Amino acid sequence: MKKYSKFIALGSLAVLTLTYSCKKLLNKVPVGNLSAGVLANKAGLDGLLIGAYSMLDGASTNYGTSWETSIDNWVYGGIASDDAYKGSNTTDQPTAAPIENHSLDPQNEFINEKWVFNMQAIQRANDVIREVPLIKDGSVSAAYGAEAIAEARFLRGVYHMELAKMYRNVPYVDESVTYGAGNYNVPNPGPIWDKIEADFTAAMNGLPTTQSQIGRANKYAAEALLAKAYMFDHKYTTALPLLTDLITNGVTSSGAKYALGPYENNFNAATKNGPEAVFNVQMTVQDGSGGNNGNLGADLNFPAGPYTSCCGFYQPSITLGNAFEVDANGLPKFQRDANGVAASDKTPLPTDHGYILASNGNYTLGGSTSGTPFTPPSQALDPRIDWTLGRYGIPYLDWGLCGGEQWSRGDITPYNPIKNVFYHSQQASTADNAAGWATNQATANSYNLVRFADVILWRAECYVESSQLALAQADVNTVRARMQNTAYWVHTYVDNSAPSKGFTSTPAANYQIGLYGAVAGTDFVTMGQAAAREAVYTERQLELGMEGHRFFDLQRYDGLYGGPAGSGYMAKVLNGYMATDDALLGGNPVLHGHTFTAGKNELYPIPQPQIDIEAGKLKQNPGY
Amino acid sequence: MFKSLLLKGRTLCLLLCCMVSSLVVTAQTRHTGKVIGSDDKLPVVGASVRIKGTNVGTVTDINGDFAINVSPGNVLVVSYIGYGTKEVTVQGTEYITISLEPANSTLNEVVVTGYTSQRKKDISGSVAIVDIADAKKIPTTSSEQLLQGQASGVTVINSGAPGAPSTVFIRGVGGFGQTAPLYVIDGVQTGDMSLVNPNDIESITVLKDAGAAAIYGVSGGNGVIVVTTKKGKAGKTTISYDGYYGTQLPLSGNVWHLMNPEQQSQLAFRAGDKATEALYPGGAGVIPTYGYHGTTGVPVFGAAGVTSDPNILQYYKFDASNPGNDFLVQKFATGAGTDWFHTVFKQVPEQQHTITGSGGNDKSTYLFSLGYVNQQGTLISTYEKRYQARVNTNFSVLNNHVRFGENGFVTYKENNGGYNGSFQNEGSLIAYTYREMPIVPQFDVGGHYGGAYDGPTGEPLGNGSNPYAIAENALTNNAHFVYVQGNIFAEADLAKYFTLHTSIGGQLYNQYYWNLGYNPYYDYESHGNPNSASENEQMLSNYNWTNTIVYKETFGKHNIQVLGGYEQKESHGRFFSASAQGFFSLDPNYVQLQFGTPVNAPTSTIIQPQATESFFARLDYTYNDKYILGASIRRDGVSLFYPGDASIKDQQWGTFPSVSLAWRVSQEDFLKGVSWLNDLKLRGSYGELGYYGDVGGTNAYSLYGSGTGSTYYGINGGNNSITQGFRNTTIGNPHVSWQTDKITNVGFDASIFNHFDVSVEWYKKVVNGLLFTQALPSTVGGGGFPVVNVGDLENKGWDFSATYHDRVNKDFSFSLGTNITTYETNIVKENGVSPFFDTGGSRDANIVRDQVGHPIGEFFGYQVTGIYQSDAAAASGATYSGAKAGSFIYKDVNGDGKIDANDRTFIGDPNPKFTYGVNANASFRRWDLSMVFYGSQGNKDFNYVRYWTDFYSTFQGGKSLDLYNKGAIVVNGVVTNPGATVPAASYSQAMGSSAISSYYVEDGSFLKCRVAQLGYTFDPGVLRRVGIDKLHVYVQGTNLFTITKYTGLDPEIIPSLANQSGRNTSAAFGIDYGAYPNNQKQYILGVNLTF
Repeated sequence: MKKYSKFIALGSLAVLTLTYSCKKLLNKVPVGNLSAGVLANKAGLDGLLIGAYSMLDGASTNYGTSWETSIDNWVYGGIASDDAYKGSNTTDQPTAAPIENHSLDPQNEFINEKWVFNMQAIQRANDVIREVPLIKDGSVSAAYGAEAIAEARFLRGVYHMELAKMYRNVPYVDESVTYGAGNYNVPNPGPIWDKIEADFTAAMNGLPTTQSQIGRANKYAAEALLAKAYMFDHKYTTALPLLTDLITNGVTSSGAKYALGPYENNFNAATKNGPEAVFNVQMTVQDGSGGNNGNLGADLNFPAGPYTSCCGFYQPSITLGNAFEVDANGLPKFQRDANGVAASDKTPLPTDHGYILASNGNYTLGGSTSGTPFTPPSQALDPRIDWTLGRYGIPYLDWGLCGGEQWSRGDITPYNPIKNVFYHSQQASTADNAAGWATNQATANSYNLVRFADVILWRAECYVESSQLALAQADVNTVRARMQNTAYWVHTYVDNSAPSKGFTSTPAANYQIGLYGAVAGTDFVTMGQAAAREAVYTERQLELGMEGHRFFDLQRYDGLYGGPAGSGYMAKVLNGYMATDDALLGGNPVLHGHTFTAGKNELYPIPQPQIDIEAGKLKQNPGY
Repeated sequence: MFKSLLLKGRTLCLLLCCMVSSLVVTAQTRHTGKVIGSDDKLPVVGASVRIKGTNVGTVTDINGDFAINVSPGNVLVVSYIGYGTKEVTVQGTEYITISLEPANSTLNEVVVTGYTSQRKKDISGSVAIVDIADAKKIPTTSSEQLLQGQASGVTVINSGAPGAPSTVFIRGVGGFGQTAPLYVIDGVQTGDMSLVNPNDIESITVLKDAGAAAIYGVSGGNGVIVVTTKKGKAGKTTISYDGYYGTQLPLSGNVWHLMNPEQQSQLAFRAGDKATEALYPGGAGVIPTYGYHGTTGVPVFGAAGVTSDPNILQYYKFDASNPGNDFLVQKFATGAGTDWFHTVFKQVPEQQHTITGSGGNDKSTYLFSLGYVNQQGTLISTYEKRYQARVNTNFSVLNNHVRFGENGFVTYKENNGGYNGSFQNEGSLIAYTYREMPIVPQFDVGGHYGGAYDGPTGEPLGNGSNPYAIAENALTNNAHFVYVQGNIFAEADLAKYFTLHTSIGGQLYNQYYWNLGYNPYYDYESHGNPNSASENEQMLSNYNWTNTIVYKETFGKHNIQVLGGYEQKESHGRFFSASAQGFFSLDPNYVQLQFGTPVNAPTSTIIQPQATESFFARLDYTYNDKYILGASIRRDGVSLFYPGDASIKDQQWGTFPSVSLAWRVSQEDFLKGVSWLNDLKLRGSYGELGYYGDVGGTNAYSLYGSGTGSTYYGINGGNNSITQGFRNTTIGNPHVSWQTDKITNVGFDASIFNHFDVSVEWYKKVVNGLLFTQALPSTVGGGGFPVVNVGDLENKGWDFSATYHDRVNKDFSFSLGTNITTYETNIVKENGVSPFFDTGGSRDANIVRDQVGHPIGEFFGYQVTGIYQSDAAAASGATYSGAKAGSFIYKDVNGDGKIDANDRTFIGDPNPKFTYGVNANASFRRWDLSMVFYGSQGNKDFNYVRYWTDFYSTFQGGKSLDLYNKGAIVVNGVVTNPGATVPAASYSQAMGSSAISSYYVEDGSFLKCRVAQLGYTFDPGVLRRVGIDKLHVYVQGTNLFTITKYTGLDPEIIPSLANQSGRNTSAAFGIDYGAYPNNQKQYILGVNLTF
């Protein structure tokens, strides 16, 4: 052995040296990320809060498909109701069709994405709340920390509300729920309106009345969302004083007193965040994100017209168009028959449906040149119609006269979406050239999560339920009176072939809008509570059409979960809609043969993948 | 960093010093001798003569003579293919004549088994030796394909895309994540062998059990494939050329079984789908003549006009710079319609050439090779072009006591970029060959690409895209790779019985890729999109530094070898990419990114560095050539796991032991007299290995990050300004550690009747603490979920291989070899709250459920039992919302009287019952014939292509004849064709038609004739006159037939990139999203020439 001793000695030395050097070898810090410690200061807290806000637009490059997760709810609140059809070809986005026709099963990808997206957003808000106590460097005062928590609780409330509207029975995930704590299999024993109300109450109490940045929630935004939660919770008397406070004292984050201005300003990126914006979701374009901060939820919802070919989704329904018809008094034909069919659907508004553009430039029925060319109807209409849907022969912003059905993809419905569409003249600043399916699909049009008209009409609902019908009427009339200003109507082009030359002062159609009570017998007190209720509901349908609320409003009204309109109201309205539609449109291929099942389709099913992963903790909604 | 480098340098010097100073120099003399064959007494040319225990050796010359410096007492080991190896102890200075006995078995073959090499008969672990001559017959650009059907216990799934790596499983699917084995190429550990030139390969051995592979510890859990490349041999300089030229043919016929445009129009009317009926203004079965779409300034045409009006042609306008001005017109394809598959799949040439030179003397040897590969894929725009150079050298000094050298190769390759598995998804070029409607012509009336944009009355023709346009446009995409791999080593004998070895090796990899995005004016939705370009670069490097000491001694009947070693590995990398759009021109010679408008900021990625540090030892002991013991132990430290802190223990270090025993029963006296039994060895082993799976270096930590599209927000209002925000990016779990693979192996090897070699093994592999991404409810938030030890898995199976070989007479000999691999996987435990998780994405639900008590990758969905024959039937019994006449009937699995998610069940297992390979070789005089077959039995394939083609409710596109011929026809709520098997054409119902169900599941068993080769070897006597040693020419056909019931392109389906993170992700496989077929016929003409 002796002769190897030198080797053994050297070898041992070598091994020791290696062992020493390799202590460091295995110490590889994570790259390309920040550790939690780096964020434990004011800048980090601010960043986490912005990160929580950034989920409001319902689109993230981190998760989800924008139109499945979008906060504008055009799918869940829009096409699932009588507002609109899915649009495009009948077989495009086949998983959206069962949502439209209420044959949805719990494995549908849309509802899972919506769920997951909002859960992620909730945890981003919780991250803010969890971070505050970790900040020890003195950069965050107690007051600042409390305000950040209040803002986070506002956001957490918004995201929970998105889920509660959809699924009603959802887990409530607060800041105590973490991976590390292992308590993440949160059950859904029932509605969580009380928890959402608690979050908004805390936010309302902790937030200032104005903010230095207009995108931030202020006290009144929280108060409005709290009121909205009470509306879903059917606590009208609790909501009423909040709504009155908002109407009397409410200001936007920049301090502007709430007011109803030009209707169209709510749908134009150049005039967004005005005095009507109780809480707006901010959208930006050309900001270095490749369009990812734009209004991507609506990115498929452009007409397949001459200026874009994509993608023709979210086409307003015939029923919605009909709802804008007014009677001799300029009031909507809102009364519903025993089958839930509105009077307006009994005298349908003529449309270009079924007419084909012939080589002589005329639209003719059935494609035969011997037919009668289609001309836009001359009957009296609520002026909001042409800001809500694109209609044949009416100026479509500054893009030209709308082509009606020829602009709809699939050519089976006559109307086109318009509220999410930007002005041609503003394209350079309010649309993003980045390619999605097509260019300019990301826009800077903000989404009005709550606008002032919303607040006023909620109060009208509350007054109806407390039998203060005159007050309810006054609120409805406030909203209607704004549209009596002819300056707020759609006007004809100076030159139809050159829309950029601007508009005349001539109304584009026969617009009329009257006030309730202006003519004897049309006042709420005379109509009685039930009719007044229906009148308020119809006012919301007209005022907020194509804004993603309709399905959830119907759900709210229904007696099934405590609404005042009687059990089965939603089923009646939507089955009436589908039956009418079948008759008027000759059978929309997606809706044809389907019905809405009362007691089931008011809610979306809990996504099956989440039920599977939570292994028995999540309970499926009734009927699924 | 610098300090540690310095330290490493010092250590290396120390080691080298100690090697040199410890040399024991003894007197050597030069011996000469001759090697003859005992059968014919003729000289054996090219026999290897080596001093035992060293790499010192020579080869016999043309007269069978050799000369070598030896010391008395040295043992010469003489070997030659086809003869038994003989050992002769050198006594004095005599002239030695060595007579070799012809061998019927290969027991004395030396097999490289990792850090050491062993004679085959001394191996106690499970080692499969690939017959490299058979394996190399399949022309391939990816050397992993050589393994298919060549070694029992190895399952290989190949892609038809040129240059695409294969999916390799050793002894079944060993986990949910990465299941690729470890490749050790000339001692360098790496993740694949696809770039090694097949002509450079000397041997491939597969280490299957713990007895053989446990020495690789935490890297070896998926099995180990050891590759050695050819080395120069002392003696004459030889130059050889191996090459072939051939052609490959695409699959023929209506491969997707699609209906023609006329049938498709009839279907629209059958469905009563008004929107689609509008595409056929002339009525069912009448195909309009023209389609158009364009600006409103151009007159429009009524239905009749579109059907026949040639006036439309005068308005045709194509404006490349402003698609908004386009007015495109196309003339529709009638009859069979456009066969999109064959617009992009074409017959193509392929060639491969390698020149190898080698030689040397007893002090140094060298081998160099130059390779050129140019394989066009049958799919236009796919190709693999490679230039490779290898240099392997060995030098010896100080009387052979110190040896050093290197093995290394450089590859430069070009291809189209990014198609290593990317054809397996719905957005790929191949998918568009069934998604684009056959009514669309390849070109429009102006010679530009046809597409969905110019439809009848301006309506879109589905949302498919023109695959031919995509393929042609892809021709300007380029990926260039430079890849260097190899090692340098030094070895010294120390005293009499020790050998010290040090090797530093690794890889350098650089990829540059650029891609031009053309305006897809032919598509409806993206008609106006601007052009674009992107570039990216990736740089990766890693090294292995391995140091071993071997003690080897024979005393009496004891043969002992002990190995000790230390090893460290480290890797680094970066990635960069940038893009822009709106270029004035897309001329590839013009486009530079700064000429366009950037859309997103450039991105760069630091690839998480990794390091491993290991200590290991191995003992091999043989007593009297009868009793064999092997034992190994390895201790590994892995940087990927949490290093520990005050409250959480260190997760980085693990120890992996193994032991194996073998008994050569045939050496026992009681069997010595049994003449038919040439050899019989019983063996068994048990040991533990590990694997670090898909754990990334951030797995232990909860981290935060930002992204403009994911965390920034316009908090200031306005239209164009955003503020930075943060989000939780990863959820960390510091308690995670490696998975442990416990492998038990028993088997025997026998040679009988002088002609028959057989080997049978049974194994059980228990994987504890399987690593995979944790399935978590979304309530935990949006950070990336950690990889955790999710559960346990058990694989069991049999490996069987047998060869029968006979030399019937002087002219005729043949051999027939087969190997069969079986495995059975069973998930025995899952640690999450659910006993399962779902994976395998689709447009509907996940396709796969990995559940306790089931094999990995089983398909999960509804069980179809028929078609509802009437609305009345659909409304009664166990049914679901929306069920109608013509919808699927599903099995009420839980018997609760309704069909819902709880009725989903297991509907097919993609794991084969067994896979098998058959190699047949025969030679008659100078002719040789060989055939290779490969088969897989009992596996199910999930034909997801049917989602697109078989259901009317899914997107418009090519639709299958099954939907036309076997689709239910419903009149007044009753099915009028009771034999229908496909749901009725209806447009809004996933449940009842396209939902994940047994409808998609098909028998994926197949048998492929992979190769048939006929060759001729020219008379060496004649050749020598012109200076040639050997000339062999052959013709060969590949994939001459595939026997299968599978209706898709190819039953052999590589995992899809659509499933999680990469090609080796195995939680879901056997799903056909439209894979690049690997059963296309090839015909080649090849030459092997040596002079």
